[in-house]
Amino acid sequence: MDDWLIAIIKVVCIWVWVLLIAVVMTWVERRGAALIQDRPGPNRAGPWGLFQPLADGIKLFTKEEIIPTKAQKLLYIMGPLLFSVPAFSAYAVVPFGDKIILGGKEIILQVSDVNIGFLFILAIGSMAVYGVILGGWGSNNKYSILGGLRSTAQMVSYEVPLGLALLAIVFVYGTFSLRDISLAQQGTFLGFLPNWGIFKQPLGFILFIVAAYAEANRVPFDLPEAESEIVSGYHTEYGSMRLGLYLFGEYVNLVTISGVIVALYFGSWHMPYIDLGAYLGPISWGIVSFCIFFLKVSFFLWMFVWVRWTLPRFRYDQVMGLGWRGLIPLGLFNIFITALFIQLTV
Amino acid sequence: MAKPVVKKEYTLSERIYLWEILKGMKLTWGHFWFNFKACWRPGPHTIPTCWQYPEDRTREISPVFRGEHMLQKDDKGRETCIACGMCAKICPAKCITIKKGKRKEGEEDKYAAKTYPAAFEVDLLRCIFCGFCEDACPKNAIVLGQNFELARYTKEECILDKRKLLMNYRKAKEEGKLKPPRKRVPVVPAPPKPEKDEKADEGAEAKKGKPAVAGKAKKKPAEKAESNEKEE
Repeated sequence: MDDWLIAIIKVVCIWVWVLLIAVVMTWVERRGAALIQDRPGPNRAGPWGLFQPLADGIKLFTKEEIIPTKAQKLLYIMGPLLFSVPAFSAYAVVPFGDKIILGGKEIILQVSDVNIGFLFILAIGSMAVYGVILGGWGSNNKYSILGGLRSTAQMVSYEVPLGLALLAIVFVYGTFSLRDISLAQQGTFLGFLPNWGIFKQPLGFILFIVAAYAEANRVPFDLPEAESEIVSGYHTEYGSMRLGLYLFGEYVNLVTISGVIVALYFGSWHMPYIDLGAYLGPISWGIVSFCIFFLKVSFFLWMFVWVRWTLPRFRYDQVMGLGWRGLIPLGLFNIFITALFIQLTV
Repeated sequence: MAKPVVKKEYTLSERIYLWEILKGMKLTWGHFWFNFKACWRPGPHTIPTCWQYPEDRTREISPVFRGEHMLQKDDKGRETCIACGMCAKICPAKCITIKKGKRKEGEEDKYAAKTYPAAFEVDLLRCIFCGFCEDACPKNAIVLGQNFELARYTKEECILDKRKLLMNYRKAKEEGKLKPPRKRVPVVPAPPKPEKDEKADEGAEAKKGKPAVAGKAKKKPAEKAESNEKEE
């Protein structure tokens, strides 16, 4: 009974937390974009415009829901759901802190520590393609279908380098579980570097982050919703809260991807050089580890915004060329090198 | 001539692209950080390129801005408009209506010339703010001021009558926002006419080259050319 209760509390808390981050991210994205472009951005609603996402949410909720007459109703309605439900569920296996001991009970700060770890994330991540392609198809609009097709091709091709980069991580740590990988990143590497994944897999990190940007449909790989070419891609025909779900799902995806990057490559909840867990009590360490983890996550979330307003969009053939001719050979090379090192050293 | 396109071979680091991305990100970070620091300054005008309009009205407007109209008065406080109707004639939107009135005895301190506009209406809903009326006015009476806040609640309010136009002038004078006297733009002189004598032709030709010389040659036959000059 207790386990169930704890599980439910964890699920609800992390769900609300991720939603909150996604909401704040919409504000950060707009303000960050504005500051980069030398303008103030939304600053009217509340202090520093912080209530802007709230206003946007109210607007999206109260707008009339319109289904285009020639749309395929079932697919049209299913699209946003199929996109956002995997986005929300993918965070289940990502840790958000070490552990906390409450009333003599050890609680792992992770919804479920499954031993297939990021295989689950890969599987759930590929599900998001359905939401995009079905939404694009069901809208019965040429721009939507173009966006949907682009996203399918792009997401399917970039899943391969993503998987290859993760495979090299499995070689290094010998496990799929994100918690075990996080635990293994304590201490130092070669005596002077923090024992983080990025120092063991520098090439793998670059591959992963590029593929992750493509998976999340973010600039410079935002071809599915390229405004200047295909209005707004697969969600051209969507309005009100259905559009909200798409946009929201995208930000939740960003949180998940940033969480995975931090857990795999940036030492999860570990501070470099200092093992705070040895000095703090069980409860305070739980809170501190949570804070450290999300500090790192927020940096990567900011990087998504930062890169978005720095780089122009790739051309479609360039995206495919980079994926198949650049990243996949590099991924195979990375696996080869990693395997060689492990064979020679272990 | 179009600039020839020079195709540049990319170096290896440029082709790998990652270093270039970092360089770009450094640039955007510079902008972000500058504006982020600017956000903490006191006052509504923090980011240099942006004016928070309703709160912050400190933005300078060009002295030759074409905003709401006004009718100017001369130094003695007399209305300068002579109701010649040139502004109404040239107005491409036909938004000016003038009714001429004759100055009576004892009104010399009120009107500068023998005629004055008994009614002067500018329809702001029609006006396109081209500034032709300003240019056509021989007495520099009608002027487009600096006020750009033209929203009104009714259509009637959008028609400026003479009282409002003079009020605009008074307001602009109090705020020190009067338009500086126009700089005369040299106009291409009229071609010399065949019936004029040699000297006039000379003058006109000289004027073509150097208008200053033509101004000095004050000959009677060249009166017409001179009057042109004056208008300029």
